[in-house]
Amino acid sequence: MTEFLIANMAPIIFGSLVFFLLLGFPVAFALAANGIVFGFIGIELGLFQPTFFQALPERIFGGIMMNDTLLAIPFFTFMGLILERSGMAEDLLETIGQLFGPIRGGLAYAVILVGAMLAATTGVVAASVISMGLISLPIMLRYGYDRRVASGVIAASGTLAQIIPPSLVLIIIADQLGKSVGDMYKGAFVPGFVLTGLYLGYVLCVSVFFAKAAPALPPEARVFREPSGRTGGISLLLLSIVSVGAAMFWAQTQAADKPTDELIVVAMCIGMAVAFGLASINRITRLALLSKMAERVTFVLIPPLALIFLVLGTIFIGVATPTEGGAMGASGALLMALSRKRLSWSLLKQAMDSTAKLTTFVVFILVGARVFSLTFYGVDGHKWVEHLLTDLPGGQTGFLIVVNALIFFLAFFLDFFELCFIVVPLLGPVADKLGIDLIWFGILLAINMQTSFMHPPFGFALFYLRSVAPTSAYKDHHTGQLTEPVTTGQIYWGAIPFVVIQVIMVGLVIAFPQLVGHDPQLTDAEMNEQGQAVDIQKMLQDDSDADKSREDADKDGAKPGADAAEKDDGDALTKAIRDAAKEK
Amino acid sequence: MQGLLKMSGLIDGMNERIGRATIWLILIVVIISAGNAVSRFALNISSNAMLEVQWYMFSAVFMFCSGYVLNKNEHIRIDVVTGRFSARTQNWIDVFGILVFLMPMALLLAYLSWPVFTNAWNSGEISQNPGGLVRWPVRLVMPIGFALLILQGISELIKRVAFLTGAGPNSLDKEAGPSAEQELAEAIKKHQVAPQVVSYVEANHEMVDQPKQGDRK
Repeated sequence: MTEFLIANMAPIIFGSLVFFLLLGFPVAFALAANGIVFGFIGIELGLFQPTFFQALPERIFGGIMMNDTLLAIPFFTFMGLILERSGMAEDLLETIGQLFGPIRGGLAYAVILVGAMLAATTGVVAASVISMGLISLPIMLRYGYDRRVASGVIAASGTLAQIIPPSLVLIIIADQLGKSVGDMYKGAFVPGFVLTGLYLGYVLCVSVFFAKAAPALPPEARVFREPSGRTGGISLLLLSIVSVGAAMFWAQTQAADKPTDELIVVAMCIGMAVAFGLASINRITRLALLSKMAERVTFVLIPPLALIFLVLGTIFIGVATPTEGGAMGASGALLMALSRKRLSWSLLKQAMDSTAKLTTFVVFILVGARVFSLTFYGVDGHKWVEHLLTDLPGGQTGFLIVVNALIFFLAFFLDFFELCFIVVPLLGPVADKLGIDLIWFGILLAINMQTSFMHPPFGFALFYLRSVAPTSAYKDHHTGQLTEPVTTGQIYWGAIPFVVIQVIMVGLVIAFPQLVGHDPQLTDAEMNEQGQAVDIQKMLQDDSDADKSREDADKDGAKPGADAAEKDDGDALTKAIRDAAKEK
Repeated sequence: MQGLLKMSGLIDGMNERIGRATIWLILIVVIISAGNAVSRFALNISSNAMLEVQWYMFSAVFMFCSGYVLNKNEHIRIDVVTGRFSARTQNWIDVFGILVFLMPMALLLAYLSWPVFTNAWNSGEISQNPGGLVRWPVRLVMPIGFALLILQGISELIKRVAFLTGAGPNSLDKEAGPSAEQELAEAIKKHQVAPQVVSYVEANHEMVDQPKQGDRK
């Protein structure tokens, strides 16, 4: 019996973890308890030293409390919560809706584009879906959009917040895989755009093949008109050409050796400043050189774009760390809400309260995961997982297919926090062993996990949309027509094409790894570098050595100041992974 | 039982007050961190003390709020299976979970992290970075946090048992006011939206069956 237990500790721990989690008790505590219960069993069986748990405070202190990366979680959450109440989403939806409204499927394009912009600023799925569901859905229903198309577009566009930086998922995945958040953000940028493009392509197909499902706005619904009745589109086009021209001109004058990403970021900034300056002059002098539409678009678009620059631009060109970028974004969001007169004490308190709660439950899952992993790695659980996954037929491809199928399936039941903290750390070392680039792998997983928001019937985006979509027939106050409600079935069916698009996107990232800007297959030299991160046994050994030396030092009554640096990095696992990442 | 419930009420009140005070650290740390970035870039000044105080505060936020969040029942649960069980069964599972999962973990970590603090206190441990901070305050955060969690665990246990013995309401079921999402929807409607939307959204709140996990994201 004892023999059997010792030989099969890892599968037994894993099996009971699944059972503990399904009991429905908070994940953080179920995870930790699993580690502790089996840690004691391990001590009884003689697998571990009695001092086994002594490493825990250092694991939490060094790996979580001192972790600068995790600090970005409250910052970006706070920024999103302030922005979602600042009225930015409403203005964007209204203006971009007017801009694209006259073409077929225009409102749907507007929802997707605004969804992408909100994703790059607020990064909160719930907020995007609720704003779009309240503002755009009634208009789409009024002008005869197919209910499935309308609800699917809204739910899916809201989930773009998961993949377009600055997203919380990417921060957590980067932390779990021991990679830098900045690299993760850079890698996610192009896939995020491609995904947005695929959504737009879907709407294009719908509007071509099922024209009735996504009609254009009728002329009477277009409000930003010149007194002469013109749309003002030409003026907007001219303004864009001038701004882009200014940006290009500036880029031309720069030295050729300037790094490309810095060049792009600064040039975009200059273009925006030119447009904003022209629109401001036009408004102050009342010259009416610009059309209403051009002026309105500029004033609505520039503040969020400036905020995106402030956050992502500074991270990309290396002026700020992701954590500092988050703090600056949060300050920017406060200023923006203040300037729109939407900031109140109650809003501020509410945002801080929600931020503190989210931070606490996320970090506590991580605490639980670290307690669990001490035991699980202690019994060589990672080797067991590695064994299961590296023996798959098809090597790397087989691994990727199985892992993606697994995550897709788990995403029906689990949300991304649980997937990130429980599944990702198990997969990371295996991917690493197979020579897969971890940035590329992390982004692949993030795109896959995005489906957890769209899967009927548990997807959260669908749930949020349900809570703001009409459940009974109502009278449209514009046209006075009785409008049919949106059924839950329609919301579910609307999401399915987007789940399919998501799967296609996963395939695209596998087929064209250049999208991430990383080669999935590492060279031997890179593998060696990355390989240093995997030798967990050795690190646990280091951990206990460090503990021992500390105890000795205490006994001698010596001041432990000398090895305090090592103490702070007491979590050898984290340290080694960080070091490996730094060297790269 | 009434005496115990009174104690539970006191613990809830204490953790609520601590939580509500701790949330201000979020605003403070945002300002400090943004200030750090700006001063380093614009004035070329950086202070290790100011960098370290960021994660001191971050640690304080999640440790001091642990009891508060437990009280509000906001720790993530996987309730795809147990969400279908009766209220009594769910309360029984929670009694089991508090006794077998939460308490051992919180007790063990409080017990193990206390000597780390006394050690730092006695030795006057200080950061290795020039101008860094003294370490004992942040070492103290961990045992305090887990102590708050233990107290809240006791309070929650009393409330679950009270329900199972018929002496109190089902605390897992309590409506803690409108969720963040509902408040957001209210705010958007107030500023922007057509009147008919207001009416059907209100109707929805009664009709849409809201799962417990609903306000997690």
